[in-house]
This record gives sequence, structure tokens and C-alpha cells, in this order.
Amino acid sequence: MSVVEFEVAGKKYLVRTDLRYTKTDEWAKKEDNKVREGITDYAQKELKDIVGVELPEVGAEVKKGEAIGALESVKATADLYATVSGKVVEVNERLLEEPELLNKDPYGEGWIVVIEMSNPKEYDELLTPEAYIEKCKKGEH
Amino acid sequence: MSAEHKLLKTVLWDFQVKELNATMGEFGGWEVPMMYTGIMKEHMIVRTDCGIYDVSHMGRVRMTGPDVIPLLQKVFTKDISKTKEYWMSGPTLALNEYARVKDDEMPYKVSDEEWLVVPNAPYREKMLKHFAKVARENGFKVNIEDLTFKLGMIAVQGPKTVEVFEKIGAGWVDDLRTLQFRMNEEIAGQKVFLISRSGWTGEDGFEIWAEPKAMIEIYRALLKAGAKPVGIICRDTIRIEMGFVLGGHEYGEDPKEFPPANSLRYGLGAIDWSKRGFIGEDALRAYRREGVRWIRVGIKMRKRHARAIIRQGYKLYVEDQCVGWVTSGTYSPYLKTTVGQAYVDSRYAIFGDYVEVEIRGKRYEGKILDFPLVPGRPVVK
Repeated sequence: MSVVEFEVAGKKYLVRTDLRYTKTDEWAKKEDNKVREGITDYAQKELKDIVGVELPEVGAEVKKGEAIGALESVKATADLYATVSGKVVEVNERLLEEPELLNKDPYGEGWIVVIEMSNPKEYDELLTPEAYIEKCKKGEH
Repeated sequence: MSAEHKLLKTVLWDFQVKELNATMGEFGGWEVPMMYTGIMKEHMIVRTDCGIYDVSHMGRVRMTGPDVIPLLQKVFTKDISKTKEYWMSGPTLALNEYARVKDDEMPYKVSDEEWLVVPNAPYREKMLKHFAKVARENGFKVNIEDLTFKLGMIAVQGPKTVEVFEKIGAGWVDDLRTLQFRMNEEIAGQKVFLISRSGWTGEDGFEIWAEPKAMIEIYRALLKAGAKPVGIICRDTIRIEMGFVLGGHEYGEDPKEFPPANSLRYGLGAIDWSKRGFIGEDALRAYRREGVRWIRVGIKMRKRHARAIIRQGYKLYVEDQCVGWVTSGTYSPYLKTTVGQAYVDSRYAIFGDYVEVEIRGKRYEGKILDFPLVPGRPVVK
């Protein structure tokens, strides 16, 4: 696993090579039949200070691409999307008291949910680190 | 950025981008520093340390001539006739004929025939036109000069501010009383057009106007002495918890969107009911006779809802009845909870009582409080 730095409009961002990504700036990590997800360094830098989160319920059935939670930055609310379909089996409750973890350590302690996959093929459909960097450089959302 | 819609750059733009590495963004048609080290961090710097805001996007207007006082008396709701030389008059409102607010400003008296005003950035052009029109229509002999592109402006705010000025050999600033100002002084060997003991934070602090080169040198000296750059996003979070108002949120000219000026409960002596003849007076007195439908209040979320962020437009409920709406909201790292401002139906605006704010379909309780929400402020010297 390594960390890669890329630049967009003069600002630097990080991606991890062992993760997959979405166009909506989530990262996904395969853990057997589960996926752990969070938001990327690009997302947290664009949002700036995150001051609140809305987490899904443990046990909730979610569909890939569905809005399952929310991130409150100072200026706006951003939706959190499910990277895969399945059942939410774990949520990071620490974020309720310490949402700043999303800014400080987005790929580590800032993880948001763990989803048990109902369709493991969906993980392979996610963006590779290279494709995600391309997406950021193009400015797509 | 398309060619048609270009953002204005302040006189300190280069310095902000190249030397301070500010994260820039848009406000009122200008490209301004949004943030430097982090919004929550910067908010705490202003409340516990010393922060420097670049407010060069705000208007700086000089009015001279025999009829400046009549002009200001006609435009503003405050009686400025008692303001002394080298004092700011305190904040006041410029109304339209519907008693809605065009801008909230603070006139500075240099002499009977020389005054300065600072329009808010989004309303600078509108107010310049308004002042000129009112002068013309009333035959007032006034010369109006826009200094916005000639001078930069910074606001140095926080409890450690005087210490910082002492370190750069300008401890004399502590002699100024709040709202007092001086012109043509020197700070860090640089000529200062104006320095006032004022600000929009509720903390002790000073605002400085200077020519760009001098401003940059003063800024560098303040940084060396321990002051830290703070951006416009934390300017908003700071003013929200003080109960200061922002155009487009708590006030605006459209009567369909905003209640009349007396609903603002602006305070701070902004309206002098004893003064006659100002624009919007008839409508304002009519609203006063009728009684207000809405009043502006503070909202402080319950501890267990500390992170339930409230935002402009969110509706307020009491016993399932909609009783108002949020005008501004933010998480306050100083108060460690979410706070905001709202208009509440005057029949339900019971201070100390609770109201429910609807956030994405769910309701969360917040207390109705008067301003400021921050204890021990404003600091007045």
C-alpha cells in the first residue's frame, strides 16, 4: 500500500493505492465480504472543516449510489453515498463527537461505515486510484 | 471563470495568494481569503488570541461638503448629530421605502464636513448610487469619493491584540476608546490612513486603513509579533454567535423575503425613534404602530444536539406548528454547540423556552436566547 500525491489547480491531494473510489469522492476498502468506506482527502479538503455527520442506522439495507448519510461542513451539507449495495454492519460513532477526524485522517480513523456486500461484483466496478485522480483533474462530480 | 463574470481583486490580493497562501473564494463579487489554517482553528484564534482579517473588499467612502450631515441624517435611521469628531457613530441602518434594510453601516466623523462610511462589500455600488441620488434629489452639496481601490483594510481582533501592537512599538493604540479613531498615524514605520478601535467580532481590536504597500508591511509586522491570519468563513461563524446581522440572511430589501427593520431587534442604538425625516420612516413607524409579526432571536441547540447543524431556511416548530425560520447557523467551537439566528413569530418568541428546528425531516430542540450568545462580550474599552 502506498500513498500517491496529485495536484489539481495548484492544490495537492492524496490517494491510497489499496483503495477504490467513486465519482462522488468516497473511498472503499474490501475486507472479505465487507466494504469499509469513507471520504477522500480531495473531498475533505474541498469541504474544509467538517462539523457534523449523519450516519446510517446499523442494519439498514442500502443500494450502491444511494445517499445514506450526510456530512456537515461549515458552509454546506454534502451527501454520503453507498459505494456498494448491502447491509450496514458498522458505523463509526466516534465521528458524532469528533467529526474533525474526517479532515485529520480521512483514510484511517475517519472511516464512516462498513457495508456487508450483497453483490461483491460491484466492488470491481469502482474507480481505480488512477481513474479517480483523472476524475478529480477533470473536475467531474 | 468566464470573461463576463470576473471577480474583483482587492489591493492585497497578491500578498494573500503568494505570501500568505490563503484559500481564496468568492464573496459579494470579490475574491477574498476564505481560510488559512482551518475554520474552527481560526474562530478560536479570534476568541482567545489575535487574528487578522483582510477586509479590503468592504467599501471605504469619504464624503465632504457642507451638507454631509443632512445627507447622512436622511439616509440613516440613527441621529448622528451628537457624534463627536474622531468617533464612529455606532452602527445604523439605511432603509428603503418599505422599511427594509439596504445596508448596515457605521459613519465615522472626521469633522462636520468630512465623514467616512464603510458599506458592506455586496452593497458598495448600490449605496454609492443611493447616496448620490439622495444628495441630488435634495440639493445636498456633497462630494462622494470611493477609496475602496486606493486603500486596504484589515481588522485585528482578539484578547491578545493590544499585546501584539505593544510588541511592534504601537502600544499607544490602547489609548483609543472603543469606536474612537485617529488618522495619519504611524505603525511599524508605515503611514496609516485611519485606525479605529472597532470590529465585528465582539472582541477588543482595531481596524486599519492604509495604502497597499504600507498595509502589507504592517501586516507582516503584526504576523511577526504573533498575530495570525484568519479568513472570511470564520468572520461569519464569529458574528453569528455575537448576534450581528448579515445582508441576505437577517436582512434584505425584498419585503416578500424579509420582515421590516424593527423586527431585526438590531440593538446598539441603530434606530433613533426621536429622529424625523429619514428614508423609510413612514413605513417603519407604521410597522411599529401595528406591532411586529416576527422578531429575530438567537438559537442555541441542546447539548445532545450540539452537532445538529442548523442552516438558513430551516423551519422552526412549536407543538407541530411552523413558527419561523433560521436565518443563519453554525457550529461554534467556542460554545461547543450549534448556534444560529432565526425569525420567530412574536407570539412564540419566549426567551428561555425551546423550539424545534427541522433538519432533513427530523426535529431537534434549541433554546430561544437573546444576543450575544457568547458571555462577556462585546468587549468595550
